[in-house]
Amino acid sequence: MIYDIRHVTTYAYESPVSFARCSLRLEPRTDDGQQLISHAVEIRPRPAERTVRRDFFGTHTESVLIETAHRNLRIDSRSRVSVARLAPGRAAPSPPWERIRDVAFEATSLGPASPVGYVFASSLVPVLAPLTAYAAPSFAPGGGILMGAVDLMRRIRGDFRYDSKATVISTPLKEVFEKRHGVCQDFAHVMIAGLRGLGLPAAYVSGYLRTVPPAGQPRLQGADASHAWVSVWCGAELGWVGFDPTNDLLVENDHIVLSIGRDFSDVSPVDGIIVGSPKQKLNVAVDVLLVE
Amino acid sequence: MSGQGNNQESKARPGQRRMAQWTRDYARLPGTPDEYIGPDGAPRAAWTRFFDAFSALSAGDIERRFASADRHLREAGVTYRAPGETADRLWPLSHLPLIIDEADWQQLTTGIAQRAQLFEMILRDLYGEARLVSDGAVPAAAIAGSNEYLRAVCGVKPPGNRYLHFYAADVGRGPDGRWWVLNDRTQAPSGAGYALENRLVLSRAFSNLYKSMNVERVAPFFEAFRDSLRASADRDEPRIGLLTPGAFSETYFEHATLARYLGFLLVEGDDLAVSGDRIHIRTVAGLKRLDVLLRRVDSNFLDPLELDASSHLGVPGLIDVLRKDGVVVANMPGSGVLEARALLGFLPSLCHRLLGETLIMPHIATWWCGQKSAREEVLSRLEDFVIEGAYGRAVPGFSSHAPVLAGELPPADRDRLRQAITDRGIDYVGQELVRLSTTPVWEEGRITPRPFVLRVFAAATPQGWTIMPGGFCRIAEKADARAVSMGDGVRSADVWVVSDKAVASATLLPGADTVRIRRIAGVVPSRAADNLFWLGRYLERAEATLRLIRALGTSTRDPAKGASTALHSVERIQRILVTWDATSQATRTNPARVIAEALQSEEKFGSALSLVRSVQRTASSLRERLSPDAWQIITEMVERLALQVDDDDSIVSAAELTLQELASLAGLAQENMNRAAGWRFLDMGRRAERAINTARFARQFAYDEAGEDDLDVLLTLVDCQITYRSRYLVGPALAPVRDLAVLDPYNPRSVAFQVAALNDHIAALPSLKEHGLIERPQRLAVALQATLTTAEAATLDVKTLFALEQDLLNLADAIGLHYFPHGPNASRPEKLTGLA
Repeated sequence: MIYDIRHVTTYAYESPVSFARCSLRLEPRTDDGQQLISHAVEIRPRPAERTVRRDFFGTHTESVLIETAHRNLRIDSRSRVSVARLAPGRAAPSPPWERIRDVAFEATSLGPASPVGYVFASSLVPVLAPLTAYAAPSFAPGGGILMGAVDLMRRIRGDFRYDSKATVISTPLKEVFEKRHGVCQDFAHVMIAGLRGLGLPAAYVSGYLRTVPPAGQPRLQGADASHAWVSVWCGAELGWVGFDPTNDLLVENDHIVLSIGRDFSDVSPVDGIIVGSPKQKLNVAVDVLLVE
Repeated sequence: MSGQGNNQESKARPGQRRMAQWTRDYARLPGTPDEYIGPDGAPRAAWTRFFDAFSALSAGDIERRFASADRHLREAGVTYRAPGETADRLWPLSHLPLIIDEADWQQLTTGIAQRAQLFEMILRDLYGEARLVSDGAVPAAAIAGSNEYLRAVCGVKPPGNRYLHFYAADVGRGPDGRWWVLNDRTQAPSGAGYALENRLVLSRAFSNLYKSMNVERVAPFFEAFRDSLRASADRDEPRIGLLTPGAFSETYFEHATLARYLGFLLVEGDDLAVSGDRIHIRTVAGLKRLDVLLRRVDSNFLDPLELDASSHLGVPGLIDVLRKDGVVVANMPGSGVLEARALLGFLPSLCHRLLGETLIMPHIATWWCGQKSAREEVLSRLEDFVIEGAYGRAVPGFSSHAPVLAGELPPADRDRLRQAITDRGIDYVGQELVRLSTTPVWEEGRITPRPFVLRVFAAATPQGWTIMPGGFCRIAEKADARAVSMGDGVRSADVWVVSDKAVASATLLPGADTVRIRRIAGVVPSRAADNLFWLGRYLERAEATLRLIRALGTSTRDPAKGASTALHSVERIQRILVTWDATSQATRTNPARVIAEALQSEEKFGSALSLVRSVQRTASSLRERLSPDAWQIITEMVERLALQVDDDDSIVSAAELTLQELASLAGLAQENMNRAAGWRFLDMGRRAERAINTARFARQFAYDEAGEDDLDVLLTLVDCQITYRSRYLVGPALAPVRDLAVLDPYNPRSVAFQVAALNDHIAALPSLKEHGLIERPQRLAVALQATLTTAEAATLDVKTLFALEQDLLNLADAIGLHYFPHGPNASRPEKLTGLA
């Protein structure tokens, strides 16, 4: 399938901002089951400097320097991506989860695809004993990693309430877990923390969902904004498998991957510092259209 | 001298008796080696030499010298903070040094230098190709688990071509008599500045003893370190900053000490900015390039843009500057990854592989539970192990930062630990419980053995690693010293590496051919200028408040004089004190309460006590720029004003004493401070505040209908009684008093004099703008001076005086806006918010 994605981020400031230094992670990955066809970002006001590099995780990262005073910052990103992904069945056979853990602990690579980078606490995802205890029943001794993760995803979807007003980025995971509500980002962080508590490798994925669902299917939660889900390492054979706990779905052709990291802080699509206005109003609009 | 032999002999007998008394009960703890008593049960030679000389001092002399050491520490304001505390603690110094024989030390230094070099090599690999990991020499998890493994600098070549510039190891002597490593510090080791201070204090208190012991000097070590950092930059005469988290940091005193001693600029993240491909420091003369940053801020806080986004301690864009080779950071961000205990077990084989040598220094036997065999070993006899976190200081799942002695845990906690190690063994190491050696401390007139940890420092130089002969020794009360941090009951000690031969004395004085003569002492960071300006203002405001208190106090106590100070003048003084928030309300019936409150109130931010506290607080952010004498006066001033006084007489004399101290501070600044830009800001603060206060006093006491008593009060407040009387034979008259207090350019207390001084300062400061127009502070100051020069006393009515006061306030604000970091050109950056 081929998608056209438009992702527009605007900041409105109360007082003029004289200087901004931003990092943009807006280029969709070319990866297993996904191919970037075209990509362009337009920024207003016009930046004094734009430099591009790949970060540790392989994410295309653009550093932008703005030196003209402005009250509005608009970042307009357009991408065309082709997706052809096949998810394993929810009950597909997979290695026992304990085996996955041992292999991850004994990894011999520090690279971005190595499971070892995703078994430890990260800045937004601490390992919390109650959360580990919550995840544990999904992983019976000797149970397959895939079935375990599917079960955990299903339970999170059932136990947590999607509420776009309940949390902000800085809401600690502990609070999200105790109050059992949040947005896609929180659902993903909860699942990641549960898996890592058991020593299992889980990564955070930012991306998009198609806006208009296929005929006869309900519109998915999170389709009009940037979305987030979880990628779990299921052994050398299955590799990394996508789990969307917000929608209780294995990731297939309705999801477009933007970038992958340990948690939101590694992949934040637009991030930066400004000099000037402490008061900001943010608006994000995402459109994902099926081209063919 | 012919009499010397006899003299010593006659001293020796009581000395030996005393020594026998001290050491009578000194016994090694069971199964524990000791520094004083060797393995053969006999005292070690270096210690015997020390105690021989020490016991030649009389008991009273020893106590006097101990007291003098403590006094020096207090007066110099050597402080630290225990984690989680907000108040500074006085530095607890053990009065006896730790003494290490040169031959013994030599072994230690070889081991430390090898270890430092090994770490440098490991870092180069890990942040480069990571062959050690792909070849299986180091498990990936042992690295990836560390919070200090910075993915952002993977593949970035460290500017200056090295990761480690400064390294420290905590060591202790094991039961086998060798030195063992307990911890490695590769991030931003602390303690070297405290070691320096300990040395200063003890060598002063026991100067002859110190000289006679042939103690290795530490100065050459610091010199070598400074020169190496300098050489790592890409230009001659580089600008080097010491990056501190700020005055609230636990070891801020040390940062200031080191910055002053090494001649580096003490900077905070806010003082720095990225411009182009370089780091710059915000100074009163605009942005100036910074070449080298010695950091005391942990890696993750260094760059809110790429690392911990919530950090206010760093510089946005710093990591990108590293990518562009624009600044040397010591140590390179990410170096802290090697502090992980998970790595300890792999070091012997890494040493063979990378250096082709056998690892010299042993460390405590460590099992990293991320490996199956080690995990099973630890779980099989958990009770025998000390469990520590594999990466950070904390043991995951256990709240205390101290190591967990599995054998001493209640059964429920032990089961919890067992489960945690089973689930996530990668987070834990098991370590052998060892008894490390003890050293004598002085307690109640005799010596007692106490466990200690010695921190040894190494600096990278172009010629290889150099080790500080000495170190930072922490002495614990508890038997297991491995987790000693400076907290309750912990003392520190100076460390003497002693030689049989005389040692060369050395200081930080460089050779004549290496220094270019310069008369302007570096740049003044905007923040330092801001603090200096406010220090000046607080000092002057404290002085004015004390003069008001004194005027009020003497008017009520002296019946002869009291009669002449009319009630309405007293009320006016009280009103000013109320406006300045020195006292809550004016009163006719109880003036004594007013002056007591204005002098000592803890709640009123305008009381003299609060003001000198503000002086102290501001001065503490300027430690590296103030002389020890100045700091000492400030400390004494605060301590004395905090002592409760009750009657009028003692209030007035407390005010007078404090005024004298303020005068000596002013004298120190005037006579001893270098006239480079820093001094100008201190003086500008003082001048601006004095001008404002004098204008206000003139308005209050030289109003259009003012009587002789009012004018008399004004002359007292502005300290012009004598000048006036020598100039005029009549009593105080309105126009002459106004002229003297406000317009007279020759009177150093007049408003006109302050404004002239401010003009001189502003003209001498660098201009920030390029468009050639006169800048706002100067515009205001020049206009004010013109007004004052041309004004006449007769027309100087209350309205004019009020306008003058407003203009002066505007001038002070304009100076602040123009030169200091909260000005429009240098706002603190904000994070972009929200889920974008």
